[in-house]
Amino acid sequence: MNFFTFKFFSIALSLCVTLLLLMAILSLFFVPKFEEVLEALQSSEMLYSLKLSLMTASLSTLLVIAVAIPIAYALSRYDFFGKAILKTIMNLPMAFPELVLGLALLLLFSRTYVGDLLHYFGISIVFTKSAIVIAQFFTALPYGIRIVYAAFEGISKRYENVSRSLGYTEFQTFKNITIPLVRNGIYASTIITFARTMGAFGAVLILAGGTYMKTEILPITLFLNISYGNLGMAITSGIVLITISFIAILFFEYMEGKKSVFED
Amino acid sequence: MFLKIENITIRLGKFNLKDIHLEVKEGQYVTIIGPSGSGKSILLENIAGFYTPNKGKVYLKGEDITYKNIEDINISIVYQDYVLFPHMSVYENILYGLKKKSTQKADHDKEVREIAALLNIDHLLERKPLTLSGGEMQRTSIARALVVKPELLLMDEAFSALDYKIKKEMRKLVKDVAKKYGTTVLHVTHDFEDVWAMADMCVVLRFGEILQVGKPDEIFAHPNSDFVANFVGTNIFEATVVRKEPDLTILKADGFEVYSSCEAKIGEKVRLSIRPENIIITTTKIETSAKNEIEGMIIKVEKRGHIMELSVQVNSIILIVMMTPNSYEHLSLALHSHVFLSFKATSVGLY
Repeated sequence: MNFFTFKFFSIALSLCVTLLLLMAILSLFFVPKFEEVLEALQSSEMLYSLKLSLMTASLSTLLVIAVAIPIAYALSRYDFFGKAILKTIMNLPMAFPELVLGLALLLLFSRTYVGDLLHYFGISIVFTKSAIVIAQFFTALPYGIRIVYAAFEGISKRYENVSRSLGYTEFQTFKNITIPLVRNGIYASTIITFARTMGAFGAVLILAGGTYMKTEILPITLFLNISYGNLGMAITSGIVLITISFIAILFFEYMEGKKSVFED
Repeated sequence: MFLKIENITIRLGKFNLKDIHLEVKEGQYVTIIGPSGSGKSILLENIAGFYTPNKGKVYLKGEDITYKNIEDINISIVYQDYVLFPHMSVYENILYGLKKKSTQKADHDKEVREIAALLNIDHLLERKPLTLSGGEMQRTSIARALVVKPELLLMDEAFSALDYKIKKEMRKLVKDVAKKYGTTVLHVTHDFEDVWAMADMCVVLRFGEILQVGKPDEIFAHPNSDFVANFVGTNIFEATVVRKEPDLTILKADGFEVYSSCEAKIGEKVRLSIRPENIIITTTKIETSAKNEIEGMIIKVEKRGHIMELSVQVNSIILIVMMTPNSYEHLSLALHSHVFLSFKATSVGLY
């Protein structure tokens, strides 16, 4: 019997890589001393960073979902001029480095008419807390759109046709029929978007500046403290980020495992 | 005219619906048949307003509805896959359209229960669609479409997912309910039994063009082209008109004569059509009122459910004949048996 089959190879590779990843994650919990982590968790810097992270990530997630639903619907249901280009541009932030996205946003809000216009109205974005939300928004938007788009694509247009023929307008049909049918897709999109915004770093660093106790979110805390050689604080930020992501993914799995409207 | 489709053209990439012209009277039950990809569903969805035509107009009761908002046209549609709203109960599904289309709120409950009783789903009103059988889902979908009393009901292969027995019940039910409500129906189907059982008028579509419109009898017995004849399973062969008698045209086809009650000029080359079920098969010559009697040999026998399909060769022409397995046994028929085929002159169509 030949043990070195493709089946054996693929399973063995999966186990090895998973083990390596698990060890890397666990090392975050086992390398530092418990007292060190506890102390770091109670520090004013960590509490500030955690609070700001949760606030900005929640706000940017709400904004992403509010924008992603109509955009995904338009891409899924309508044919219009430039649709293919629009789709490509929307997906771009997923493909290019976050630092480049941050740089592009920095230029947009400082060196273009958009920046000038905002400045005219007394609104400054760059190196502020608003910049965190904007950077997180653009980092997570393609993910949010993609998941909701897949949900709309999975729903036959015939549901909407029947609703329209029964006297409902396009918007009423969207509200009464389409949204309830893609409910699970919207949940999934919200969780993934939230996880993505919590972890956004490069774009936030460039646009918001990563200033201590001002624009400091968890990934920035990790970055700043590792630069100072303060390993305990850096690792604790990592643990908090991992825990939040883990809770988000668990919630996502729970929602996905819940019966969809089609199985009620 | 109740429904008038005037020279509708729809261009959809490689597929076009070309210059469709169709007129339907109030209360008529019209079936639309044709091979897959002929544009039947697009035609229905165009009438409902889901497709905007590149050219042409659709009139309902004299009103131009071509560019009217879908929600403002009183047309209901029923699809093959039921399309019941899964997050609503059967009751809520039926009520959904009523809430918009009927202002008499007090009557809503009564109307839902009335149509549910008519379609034998009154015991299912609290259930969610996905707990229902195919037949129950289709009844719900028809109830939802009819409860708003549409001027026109569109059915897109509405029975094709149902089994034989349920289909038979549904045909009767829909025909009766449509009659009760006086609803005009356009029904796209692949099943000729739907045509026979329900249609007052039949439309044959191919590659986005209407090939023939007429009563089912006309279409099946007198197809106007080889395609329609083949599609509806009618025997066709070439013949030449050799002489005329009062009310009869006599044609010569590969060594035998055929009598037809259709008109044609002497010397004219025509295509001749005979429905398989209009041919009587015997083992000896019989005395009959049928004008035509020809001799042939059985070259192929196929059992198709409760029907036997026999291919009989008459010189170089092959005719399909249908009979029951009982008759086949009773006549002691077998492959290569010599048989006589009789059919009336009125059963022979020319085009």
